[in-house]
Amino acid sequence: MRSLYFFLLSLMASLVLFMIFSFFYGRRPPKALNLDSPIQIVLKSRKGRAMNFWEIVYQGIDEASMEFGVQVEITGPGYEKQINQQITILNRVIEKNPPLIILASTDYKRLSKPVKRAHDRNIPILLIDSGVDSNIPLSFIGTNNIDAGKKAGREMKRLITLSNRKDIAIVSHIKETTSAIDREVGARYSLKDESIIGTWYCDVEEDKAYRIVLGLLKNKDLGGIVALNEVVALGVARAISEQHAQDRVAFVAFDNAIPELTYLEEGIIKATVVQRPYNMGYLAVKTAVEYLRGEKIVSNIDTGSVLITKENMFKREFQEMLFPFSYQMP
Amino acid sequence: MRKKLGLGTLESRIHIFFILMLFAAIFIMQLVFFRFATTTVKRSKIENNRTLLRQLVSQIDSYIMGIDIISQKIVDDDRIQQYLETHINLDSLEKIEERLYYYMEARSDISNILIYANDGRSILGDPESKINPWTDIKESSWYNGALSENGQTSVSTAYVQNIFLGKYSWVVSLSREILSKKSGESLGVLLVDLKFNRIEELCRSLVIGEKGYDFIIDSSGAYVFHPSQQLVNSNLRKEPIYNIQKLINNTSSINYFQNNDRYFMVETSDLTNWNIVSVTHNNDIITDWKNVQVIYTLIGLVLFLIVGPVTKRISSGITEPIRKLQNIMKTVESGEFKLIGSIKATDEIRKLAYDYDIMVGRIRELMESNSREHELKRKSDLKALQAQINPHFLYNTLDSIIWMGEMGQNKEVVRMTSALSKLFRISISKGHEIITIRDEIAHVKSYLTIQEMRYQDRFRYLIDIDPDLLDLPILKITLQPIVENAIYHGIKEGNEAGFIKITSSIQEDFVLLKVEDNGIGMSQTDLKSLISGVNMIPGNSLRMSKQGMGLRNVHQRIKLYFGKQYGLTFESSPGKGSIITASIPRIKKEYNV
Repeated sequence: MRSLYFFLLSLMASLVLFMIFSFFYGRRPPKALNLDSPIQIVLKSRKGRAMNFWEIVYQGIDEASMEFGVQVEITGPGYEKQINQQITILNRVIEKNPPLIILASTDYKRLSKPVKRAHDRNIPILLIDSGVDSNIPLSFIGTNNIDAGKKAGREMKRLITLSNRKDIAIVSHIKETTSAIDREVGARYSLKDESIIGTWYCDVEEDKAYRIVLGLLKNKDLGGIVALNEVVALGVARAISEQHAQDRVAFVAFDNAIPELTYLEEGIIKATVVQRPYNMGYLAVKTAVEYLRGEKIVSNIDTGSVLITKENMFKREFQEMLFPFSYQMP
Repeated sequence: MRKKLGLGTLESRIHIFFILMLFAAIFIMQLVFFRFATTTVKRSKIENNRTLLRQLVSQIDSYIMGIDIISQKIVDDDRIQQYLETHINLDSLEKIEERLYYYMEARSDISNILIYANDGRSILGDPESKINPWTDIKESSWYNGALSENGQTSVSTAYVQNIFLGKYSWVVSLSREILSKKSGESLGVLLVDLKFNRIEELCRSLVIGEKGYDFIIDSSGAYVFHPSQQLVNSNLRKEPIYNIQKLINNTSSINYFQNNDRYFMVETSDLTNWNIVSVTHNNDIITDWKNVQVIYTLIGLVLFLIVGPVTKRISSGITEPIRKLQNIMKTVESGEFKLIGSIKATDEIRKLAYDYDIMVGRIRELMESNSREHELKRKSDLKALQAQINPHFLYNTLDSIIWMGEMGQNKEVVRMTSALSKLFRISISKGHEIITIRDEIAHVKSYLTIQEMRYQDRFRYLIDIDPDLLDLPILKITLQPIVENAIYHGIKEGNEAGFIKITSSIQEDFVLLKVEDNGIGMSQTDLKSLISGVNMIPGNSLRMSKQGMGLRNVHQRIKLYFGKQYGLTFESSPGKGSIITASIPRIKKEYNV
């Protein structure tokens, strides 16, 4: 009789099990992530004084942090060239022992030391936009900058063959950051048969870029300028615009700040390689959340890049990319 | 093994059957219930959603209509008409700009207003904006859209407006051709750019549940509005546009579809040609799903707890009487035929018990009659045996008589002959088996007389019977075989003068008739074999001496007629003679057979 009750009990147990199973069947809401402290994000320049590019990265971060219900804290130096300040900020952030750090490195080499420190404290690190000389970071989320550089180079090659001035100058934003290094490598690869007269660095100062170009324009053989980010692009465009040099100098830029797009419509910028900063910000937070949930993440997420010209800028698929949708847009 | 598990019994089988049935019933009920509940709730929720969605569509329509009314007013404005017709009137231009600015101020959702005259003049609502010199208005889609509508409003999809210098806003444009009220001629095109804030507000206000949302796509499938516009624009989130378009073109009654755990419904606005899609999350459709589950689980458990023991009751109620029957029937094995009598059980079981009782009664009857027949047979067997002995004795006696007659001993001849005559008369005694002790004594006396004469004073005898006992019944020819035994096996073998003494006594309900002799007696082993031989059932293969046969005959006849407690008892020791006692019941009345 006892064994019969055993049988009965097991039946009941299976009934209960069935019901419990049916509870969760088909409904597996992702685990809510409860973090003691916010995820720390150290960008290249602080919110409020950012370039348009970083503004859109913020939007992506905001959207993701709302969607996944995680707290983030965004910090960064005042300007992209303030590498020391970024190192100080990163060290301070490490002291807070955050669950994870997302870093957009201003310098390929110098940031590797604080990254190592974070690693020693078991703080996982993700990189966005620019890399660091270290294999510690779990993942890199950003544009494949060599690829983007190649696209810019190819367009420049097309434009320079139409021109009778053959000298090409590259104006970079900062010396030791991977985005600049890789874009230059890519551009030089595409332009390996052309005469590149040199690379100039403007330390992410629009004015400095402007002055550099004013100097470069004195070279009567200058037929093309490649600017490697939006700050540089705006300085270069201003110089070309003021000197009315748009007809003799083909200018290929990077990024899609609103003034850049006006320059593009105006014909001063012939083409620009556009990244997807929104995706960068969104995917960085998403990847961080996935990692903290214990899911597998990939070590490299290419957010992609597209070459935009005046002709295709208002095409449906590109306008969605160029003009981030925002209700507060002017 | 089988027994240990207890699964072989009817009770446990019934029990298990009930439990399984119950389990299946609960299982199926749960499935059916959930299917039913979910579909019902789903359907009603979806109908509900559809109402809300229609409401949303009509609100968006009325919103667009409201803007259209503004545009109508602008188009019909006399000053504007006049300005466009006369080509130059700077005075009214300022007033017109003021007017447009007034609309802009009043409506925060208007991004910009533009009146573009056919001659290339333009009036802007936002005084701070400028026409982008690098764009060609006549090639923009809103311009051409307005021209094709012939004075009616054309509603664009969402796009980036690039005709204002340095401003690239996502807008929805309403544009219409300005026709002269007088001549009906085309004067220009009016553009009203709308921001998304009002549309967003509307879309967010009518949403089902926590995870529901609405979005708008145009007829080509491009997004007009999506609450996570950036995500869908960046391809980080995808909506099943293809399925939605299929649903739009579907004319059948199916008006929603499910994608993973979301439900999509779509309504098309005739005014704008927009498709407004409502997305509802499964969890929001059945919000208290878990409560329902918990309650249902509890009900199931309670049912189990109640019905489990109840089925046990039921099954044991069925099997308990059967077990009782079984226990009673088991007594048959031991030869006891018990009746069940009345039993508390179902009709079937009672009938079974009743039939069993009848059967057992029959068996009992049969057994009784069988044993009676058996007894009768034995009695007749014994009678036959008894008859066998007599002729032997008879011709010996007749020999003696002949011999005595030849010797001229007439007196002795008479005596022996009369004794023989008496002997036979009593032993026949009209066929009765039971006679009085008196007759039996007379019988044995005749016998002794004959033997005494034959053996010529080899022995003497003494008969001493309580006169009170003389009328009591006794089985005929009880004593004669005992005496015969005493003579042939006791006295005849001995050398001394023999002596036979027959005495009687009463012990409780027994009458004891004792036959003593002083013959050679028996050894213990002989005595034992005699006793066991006497008790042997006749027809047994064991051979018996003639001595034993006579005694056994008496012994068993007494037992057959009077009962097992009666019969012969034996005492003997070698050289001292034997005592054989016949015990019979002390019955007053004459015993009738």
